[in-house]
Amino acid sequence: MIYVKNLHKSYGKLEVLKGIDCHIKEKEVVVVIGPSGSGKSTFLRCLNKLEEPTSGEIIIDGIPLNSEINVNAIRREVGMVFQRFNLFPHMTAIQNVVLAPEIVRKTNKAEAEKVGLELLAKVGLSDKAGEYPDRLSGGQQQRVAIARALAMKPKIMLFDETTSALDPEMVGEVLAVMKDLAREGMTMVAVTHEMGFAREVGDRVIFMDEGIIMEEGVPSEVFANPKNPRTQAFLSKIL
Amino acid sequence: MDMNWKAALDSIPILNKAALLTLELTAGAVAIGVVIGLIMALARLSRTKIARAAAIGYIDFFRGTPLLVQIFLVYFLVPRILHWETLPDDYQYFAGVLAMGLNSGAYIAEIFRAGIQSIDRGQTEAARSLGMTQSQAMRYVILPQAFKRVIPPLGNEFIALLKDSSLLSIIAIQELFYSGKIIAGRTFQPIPMYITVALYYLLMTQLISRWVTYMERRLGKNDLR
Repeated sequence: MIYVKNLHKSYGKLEVLKGIDCHIKEKEVVVVIGPSGSGKSTFLRCLNKLEEPTSGEIIIDGIPLNSEINVNAIRREVGMVFQRFNLFPHMTAIQNVVLAPEIVRKTNKAEAEKVGLELLAKVGLSDKAGEYPDRLSGGQQQRVAIARALAMKPKIMLFDETTSALDPEMVGEVLAVMKDLAREGMTMVAVTHEMGFAREVGDRVIFMDEGIIMEEGVPSEVFANPKNPRTQAFLSKIL
Repeated sequence: MDMNWKAALDSIPILNKAALLTLELTAGAVAIGVVIGLIMALARLSRTKIARAAAIGYIDFFRGTPLLVQIFLVYFLVPRILHWETLPDDYQYFAGVLAMGLNSGAYIAEIFRAGIQSIDRGQTEAARSLGMTQSQAMRYVILPQAFKRVIPPLGNEFIALLKDSSLLSIIAIQELFYSGKIIAGRTFQPIPMYITVALYYLLMTQLISRWVTYMERRLGKNDLR
């Protein structure tokens, strides 16, 4: 589903990604962990070309990510949820959800609305469809953001520290939605600090540091027996 | 000099008409200015170098030269460019509104640019990540938010333009200041006349300012950021 070959990314002289290779299969749930500044968010943002790779190759669903035309086609298939929600503040929850299907997929209004309401129900926010984002809690906003990404019927979902900006009591409701998605067989790449989530639904955990993948494997193994000293040091700090 | 307010009071019907013309000229200029301003702001932020350079040149020229000079330039240039042998009736209104519109377009471009740039990058990223093109993101996500934010500076520009429209008296447009000047000269009562004219401008700028505040409150209620 996702092939990444020798991916490099530099900002001027600062090299953030120093050669990432990885292959993510359909329906796989991959959790990316690592200290801040390790390049994990940059890696994720390269996967839908919010960041332009300096060199290397990314192939998503058989399509190489290179020209601008491909980029919009790829982005339709790759949903992304951000740390800071990024809901459109001038639109209600349901308007946030139906906008892209209507203007990008050209879905008719009634159909988009129907699917949108179903998605809001799925994330437990049926009663908030008509609310503007500033009237919603952080957890609710993030769930709307997930519904908005799902409305494009993506094949892959990227989660960029989706619970890091939330008050602790709201983390659970967002993780619950993500877990449901994982169980339904969505292909997911999640950058997160939620080790419980990684252990419970992750098929694979990738530990990144200094712009490379230091270690990867089945979560239970990596968490119990980290082989790389960096992984050991990182895990000992957060577990 | 003996001050006599009778002349000023007698001229109120004429001044009302002239004030209405001032408002119409300003509205016309604002309409042109908003359209040009939006185009120039988008060009200014475009990835195309030529578009950016053209916008910068336009903005620098119209902000860096006096409006009075621009009025004359437009007044004399347009017939030359269009190869008009004789000027159409009421040509000065056309030239005046055009000159003011071109001028305000430069200021409004900078207002729009600031508004667009004030919208969080995450908004564009969210829109693009949903598969929207750059222009779709601009149209559906960025501009609606930016418009709300630029209402106050746009209102200020509207007010500045209304006051600057008095410069159009120089090409014999009979707006408020022109009419006041004529009557002041004819009645030998400049002080009451110009005070009255000033009050007319003050009333109009106050009304615009109130209207802007109202619009700002009405449109801003869903945007706490």
